Amino acid sequence: MGHFAEKFLDQIYQEKIVLSLSSVLGFIFLWYLVTDLLGLMPAIVLPSPEKVFFTIYEKILVPVGEEKLFGHIGVSLVRILVGTGMALGLAIPLGILMGWYENLDAIASPIIEVLRPIPPIAWIPLAILWLGIGLGSKVFIITIGVFFPTLINTYLGVKFVEPLLIKAAQTLGAKDKNILWEVVVPASVPLIVAGVRIGVGLGMMCLVAAELVAASSGLGFLIMLGGDDLKPELSITGMILIGILGLIADRIVLNIERKVIYWKKE
Amino acid sequence: MIRSVNGNQQPEKLVAQNVSVLYEKDDKSFLAVDDVSLSVQEGEFVVIVGPSGCGKTSFMNTLAGLVRPAKGKVYMDGEEITGPSAERGVVFQQFALFPWKTAYENIEFGLKYRGISKEQRDEIVRKYIRLVKLEGFENSFPHELSGGMKQRVAIARVYANRPQVLLMDEPFGALDAQTRTIMQEDLTEMFLAEKRTVVFITHSVDEAIYLGDRVVIMTARPGKIKKIIRITEENLVPDRRNLNYDEVVNLKEFRDLKGEIWGLIKAEILEKHIL
Amino acid sequence: MVLSTVSVIAVLGVWFCLTSSGKIISPAFLPAPHNIVIDFFRILRSSYVGNTLIGHTLVSLQIVLGGFFLAVAIGIPLGILMGWFKRIEAIVDPLFQLLRPIPPLAWIPLSLLWFGIGIKSKIFVIWLSAFVPCVINSYTGIRLTEPLLVKAALGLGVKRQRDLLREVAIPSSLPVILGGVRIGLGSAWMTLVAAELLASDAGLGYMMQMARRALEPSVVILGMLIIGVLGALMARGLRALEKRICPWVVEEEH
Repeated sequence: MGHFAEKFLDQIYQEKIVLSLSSVLGFIFLWYLVTDLLGLMPAIVLPSPEKVFFTIYEKILVPVGEEKLFGHIGVSLVRILVGTGMALGLAIPLGILMGWYENLDAIASPIIEVLRPIPPIAWIPLAILWLGIGLGSKVFIITIGVFFPTLINTYLGVKFVEPLLIKAAQTLGAKDKNILWEVVVPASVPLIVAGVRIGVGLGMMCLVAAELVAASSGLGFLIMLGGDDLKPELSITGMILIGILGLIADRIVLNIERKVIYWKKE
Repeated sequence: MIRSVNGNQQPEKLVAQNVSVLYEKDDKSFLAVDDVSLSVQEGEFVVIVGPSGCGKTSFMNTLAGLVRPAKGKVYMDGEEITGPSAERGVVFQQFALFPWKTAYENIEFGLKYRGISKEQRDEIVRKYIRLVKLEGFENSFPHELSGGMKQRVAIARVYANRPQVLLMDEPFGALDAQTRTIMQEDLTEMFLAEKRTVVFITHSVDEAIYLGDRVVIMTARPGKIKKIIRITEENLVPDRRNLNYDEVVNLKEFRDLKGEIWGLIKAEILEKHIL
Repeated sequence: MVLSTVSVIAVLGVWFCLTSSGKIISPAFLPAPHNIVIDFFRILRSSYVGNTLIGHTLVSLQIVLGGFFLAVAIGIPLGILMGWFKRIEAIVDPLFQLLRPIPPLAWIPLSLLWFGIGIKSKIFVIWLSAFVPCVINSYTGIRLTEPLLVKAALGLGVKRQRDLLREVAIPSSLPVILGGVRIGLGSAWMTLVAAELLASDAGLGYMMQMARRALEPSVVILGMLIIGVLGALMARGLRALEKRICPWVVEEEH
């Protein structure tokens, strides 16, 4: 059976590659067809692929708004990094302490349960009211976005640690605080990192939203500007870059996950 | 003063006096252990057997200090046991190894809280790795080890901590029969080399007779003590601990003891309709 | 729990003290708690920027549910087909993976360009944001169908692909699919809020933007609370539906 099955599977595999490639190429070709060759869509509505390509090239050299292309990317990066950093710095310690100390849990939970269901995007008007249109309001929204998933996962990880591990540590002589930091926290790391991953994904969305609504720089701003100025090629540029940024961010967190959970089997 | 429960000469290490334990599940509470009194001498190897769910683990948890008895008290060296302690080490059936630590680090765990220097810790850890025959696997993580190896690490971890009392809750239950036999022989070897007070829970009557000085047979839930059988030179060979498992198991005396103990357990199971 | 109640009262108390006089924290920045309640009843039935509170809420809900159901109707079948038929997967997947990293929100300006400021543009982005999780989860659910179950069905005489799909793969994937639907609803709701913040003339997001410009944070906060409550209610409703449809699933805590 073996050899025959292998050939058969190879065939399917090749067929899949052919189909996938042709579908992608077909899509690009269709796009090209509709915009350039047949001129079905006015450039105002949908620009041709080459137009997008040249826009990217051009904007690396010529500023749009206040920055050149890399400037916009940089600004967005700073916002997401600061926002994520602040959120993690708050959420992880708080989650650990809330999960371990019931009193803290009782005190903080009601406030968190009221604030948590509010989507971070809904905070935008309030953030603008309080912090204006600068860096602050955007970092605020991103922080909220990353904060809650991370907090919840950290909390759950600590609260529902395998009780057997705690018993083992107790019967080996460890006391309360030691158990928290040397047993419970390492045991919760997988869940914490999972929460960070979700949080970062949400944070990217918040970045885009905040930059769409109230910004004068950044990738979201580019996307919005494209819409306002009837230059969809700008929007598409922004969208592609945001997509790439999101993929990179996710990859980075995955790598961190792999490094930190080195003891698990694949 | 504590009343001695069985009037022996040796100092009493652990005493359980009229201990009852409640067990809660789904908002209902059951009586798991009903008025059990037991005293364990220093250096004695006591094995507790009984039908499933008869409260063996709950009882051991009170000895460990992980659970407060609903009634009665437990004492170690005359002092009431109020919580877990490194002096009463526990080996769990599910190993309970810290997955993010290597075998070495697991075994080292308790030693850090005893204020022992790094060099001394290293010496102790390596000694016990040799004792449980895990040389070469010091830097392996639990997920890289087989069941038998994991349990060796768990035993070494507790042994290295030098508790006065060893509480073992069906430690070989999750292992296959062959590994189990080897572990029993190894444990006996360790027990001979470094005598501790041991309370050991098992389902297996063979294991109980092979390992124990006394076998405590419990009733079905709620658990009481049905009978205590002493394994001595009279009812088994004098040097059984120096023999291999297969040599001991085939002795007529062994089979007689097994028949007696198993008969008692079986009666419990049938009477109380557990199966 | 006593501590919880004390904590809530303490927070409310501090809030009240700081805001009631209007001198420590200006009402344009943060209103006093009782004022929020007063404003709630004020705009509940009477018009605020063109509609009552109930009116704005209904507008938002309608749009969200419209786009959401459309996404479910298209996304789940597509995901199922992609999961079952390798050929379809090969054709659709690469395009899907290319477009997936782009957050649905980012489509809003393009959508406005293509469809104008009306309802169509909003429905498009909302549809997009619910569509993706539905497809992914349906696809994953089908792919993860326990092969043992399929073999059992084959052994019991089920022959056609169509029947296998219908009788084994889909039912066993329902929990995962419904999970995707739940995520999709949450995503749709978020996207709606963003869309309404950007370009709308009705709805909760629009109401909040107008209130912000008028320096009336109490209405903004009311909007936030209602959005939060509605989102939570929808999620809970879906979870209850899940339990009805898939009674065999064992619930883990939380």
